[in-house]
Amino acid sequence: MRNRLISALFGLAVGTAAWTGGATAQQAVELTLWSHWSAEVPKRSFVEAAIAEFEANNPSIEIKATWYEKNALYAALKTALRAGQAPDIFYAEPDQVEYMDNGFLLDLSSLNWDAVEPWAKEAWTYQGKPYGLPLEAWTVELYYNKQMLADMGVGLPDDLQFSPDAFADLVKKTKAKGITPLSLGVGDRPYPGAHLAHEALLKKLGVADYSNLLAGKLSWTDTRVVDTLTWLTGLSEAGMLPPTFSTLKLTEAHIYFHTKPGALMFLNGSWYTSRAFNTPDKGGQPAGFPLGIMKFPAVPGAVCNECRSIAVGGSYVANADTTHPEAAIRFFNSFLKPEVGNRWLENVKVQTGIKSDPSKITDAQAADYFSMIAKTNAGAKYHFGIPIQVMSGKPKEVFTQVINNALPAGNISVEDAVKQLSEAY
Amino acid sequence: MAEGAETRVADDGLRRPWGTILAFLLPALTLYVALTAYPAVRTFWNSFHIVLPRREEFVGLANYVELAGDDIFWRAVSNTLVWACASPVIEVSIALLLALALYAKVPGARFFRVAWFTPVLMSYIVVGILWLWIYNYDWGPINVALRALGLDHLARPWLGDPDTALPALIFVASWMWVGFNMVVLLAALHSLPREVIEAAELDNCGWGGKLIFVILPLVSATLLNLVVLSFIGKMKIFDLVWITTKGNPLWSTETVSTYVYKRAFEWTTFDLGYPSTIAAVWFVIVLAAVLGLTRLFKLREKLEY
Amino acid sequence: MASLKRSILLLILCGYTAFAAGPFVWAAMLSLRTTTEIHLDHFALPDPIHWEKFPDAWFNSNYATYFLNSVQVVVAAVLIVTIVGAMAAHCLARYRFRFNRLIYFVLFSTIIFPPQITIISLFQVLVNYGLYNSKLGLTLVYVAIQLPLTVYILESFFARIPADLFDAARMDGYSDWEIFWRVALPVALPAVATTVILNFILLWNEFLFAVVLITEEANRTLPLGIQRFIGDTQEDIGMIATGLMIAIIPVVVIYAFFSEKLIQGMTAGAVK
Repeated sequence: MRNRLISALFGLAVGTAAWTGGATAQQAVELTLWSHWSAEVPKRSFVEAAIAEFEANNPSIEIKATWYEKNALYAALKTALRAGQAPDIFYAEPDQVEYMDNGFLLDLSSLNWDAVEPWAKEAWTYQGKPYGLPLEAWTVELYYNKQMLADMGVGLPDDLQFSPDAFADLVKKTKAKGITPLSLGVGDRPYPGAHLAHEALLKKLGVADYSNLLAGKLSWTDTRVVDTLTWLTGLSEAGMLPPTFSTLKLTEAHIYFHTKPGALMFLNGSWYTSRAFNTPDKGGQPAGFPLGIMKFPAVPGAVCNECRSIAVGGSYVANADTTHPEAAIRFFNSFLKPEVGNRWLENVKVQTGIKSDPSKITDAQAADYFSMIAKTNAGAKYHFGIPIQVMSGKPKEVFTQVINNALPAGNISVEDAVKQLSEAY
Repeated sequence: MAEGAETRVADDGLRRPWGTILAFLLPALTLYVALTAYPAVRTFWNSFHIVLPRREEFVGLANYVELAGDDIFWRAVSNTLVWACASPVIEVSIALLLALALYAKVPGARFFRVAWFTPVLMSYIVVGILWLWIYNYDWGPINVALRALGLDHLARPWLGDPDTALPALIFVASWMWVGFNMVVLLAALHSLPREVIEAAELDNCGWGGKLIFVILPLVSATLLNLVVLSFIGKMKIFDLVWITTKGNPLWSTETVSTYVYKRAFEWTTFDLGYPSTIAAVWFVIVLAAVLGLTRLFKLREKLEY
Repeated sequence: MASLKRSILLLILCGYTAFAAGPFVWAAMLSLRTTTEIHLDHFALPDPIHWEKFPDAWFNSNYATYFLNSVQVVVAAVLIVTIVGAMAAHCLARYRFRFNRLIYFVLFSTIIFPPQITIISLFQVLVNYGLYNSKLGLTLVYVAIQLPLTVYILESFFARIPADLFDAARMDGYSDWEIFWRVALPVALPAVATTVILNFILLWNEFLFAVVLITEEANRTLPLGIQRFIGDTQEDIGMIATGLMIAIIPVVVIYAFFSEKLIQGMTAGAVK
């Protein structure tokens, strides 16, 4: 409080902070922030609004945000952190264990954690300490075009989950009509193709064995794994995926699904909204698009068809070397209120790690979307994190190349795939 | 050239104004030591350590042992070697044919020379983006042409298929460099003494005979240089791969350069030691290959004369 | 018969020309069309011609920044490497002293160094010197990587200047520096021009060192800027093509004016 008064006086007296040099350095705090989402308007405007509000409430702190695209941001951070030139606050996801391993992140124990979902805190806890503000949380959802499914004359079961045979039939039927059954592409991301395998393996093995598999404690040559991957390969061979799967980029895969040429289904994180709910000229889905969400189909011989993945995604972390840790924590705490959580849900239309109340959503599109998400998630048992968040080093590289890219593309046999993976640990 | 050698000998050779010499050499040597020699030495030093942002630890040969068993590295080595061996052959042989064609005084030779040289002026980045479009599955000219010819089954995502991705990239690099090689060879042909070729003509040599027995030996030095230059260039290749495939799919286009970059700046480790080891080993391999290549050609030259 | 052979040869050469220059022409056409038009037909002629895309790319996509950064870095690096390289080359060609050939060989042999051998430590070194992520740092690195080639080309040219010329100059009372600056350099101007053009083209297109040593948006050079275009968002093919053209133009202009020089120099020094 006193600081603020002094800085205000200084501001009046001198006019510009630059003139007073060291004297005001303590009062006029500038926090730099590097963030992903340069092209994802809803998330970006949510954060910008939060910054504006925070600056209004804390006139002595200024937050200078720079927006990047994800790959560029990661590349810049990797070198900047090592060079000691990283910003005070930056975007990260909980899979980036290397940040914590190397002591780059500020311990956020003093945050108002009561306002955060326990599983979201857990996702960011490393060796007993929490490190990230979990803004975004998401589940892997199977989107579909309601109109197209109706035209096909196929009804979705009441529990929203096709049986393995019914799903295989659907794929064949769709393909026979000259429509791509499921849009998916790995042109610029290390995970979309793997959604197929990890959702299926999780159902087949159950949470515990699935965790063991990713950790290298259960061999990839286990017959249950081989059977499941073979089942998926059969679907790929039936022409389930776009012919351009291996080069199709994430944004292009969205457009492939909802606009051109149009696919029946699309497997994606529930942050589908951040691209698809834009206006069509910015790559969004057409107005009035008949969006539906179904459960990932049941897997033959699965022990847990209600099992699915939930992940903490886009988060903010603070630099361990920041000269203004209190300011950073104050900034983070400004997010930790139920009304901010609701604002996220309402505007961004993705789940969040901040405790919130979806029933209070007023925006019709958002309310509709979250009710669909609630239905597919009813009675679900969760595994936290997708494989590339859990794995690291060589297994991660092999997993990405083999399970994400080559196997769905039909470029490698199941035997070779599991062999390579079992040798990678 | 002969004249130059003479003047050098004729120079008094006794003046050694060390101050002046130092003044002339110092800027270059400083830059060389600070930004080439020292970093190179440091890379070797790194290769025996784990180099984390806040911690360095001596690990002896551990990185080298790991490297020996790193199949991604060996995959990258084999891809790079395939590239470095295929490219010079393709580039130089096509370039030689084109240069001979222009040497035969076709009309418009000047225009051809300029047009063929243009790809080299563009950066790998520009070329990479252009060819990403050319190889595009849906509307790239290659697949469009194949479909127009009724060869739909041959249309494919050229850069997305592990069988075609590397050849497709090698093709692009060759497309880019043929013109350059051609221009150099043409200049070498033009500097050949007329009499020799005319004498061969008098001896009733056919075109093929003239090419093999007269022209090739005369431009062999240029050919060697071009082969070595192309070889070295491909052993370094990074830009083109990075902009198009980043080593995908299934490591089929991974080169040593991209792998070093990934391990140093992309993988979820901050360690600079292991990538330095890759660089150090690769340096030795490149050095040995270039020396070997030069020696091989010299040996053949000796045998021929 | 001979003329038939000739026409077939000419036909083949024309075919090859289309293959070599076709992609460039195609990109030029794309650069003058909007993405919507392109998606309707990827191979149509530009009609109407959208010249306004060039100012649009320049002003709205940060292109001006990238372009000016490239100009600053490349011009400074070429200037420095030419002077520093010429000094060293002159010295090595003119004075005979112990280690002369050794220094020459050490400098020259760097030409075959794969860049990996220095790139990682250069990152560390520049961080230590506080030159990481700065245009100055990148400029100095560019000087260092082009130095061997420059010295190599210039040394062979300087060595061919008759010693009489220098003796005469010395009699006229020229100092060693003046001999270099007012005699050797002007005489070697053709070779100097070659290295300038060659270095300019190579550095203008340089990517690997830039990608490692520059992260800040404000310091990005053109190749990095172009790379950014093909990022996450839906590809705006028309605009990317416009950007590509802007990046190529300086090189093409230089080539158009100096192609003879460049080819002479390359064939005389760089390769032979």
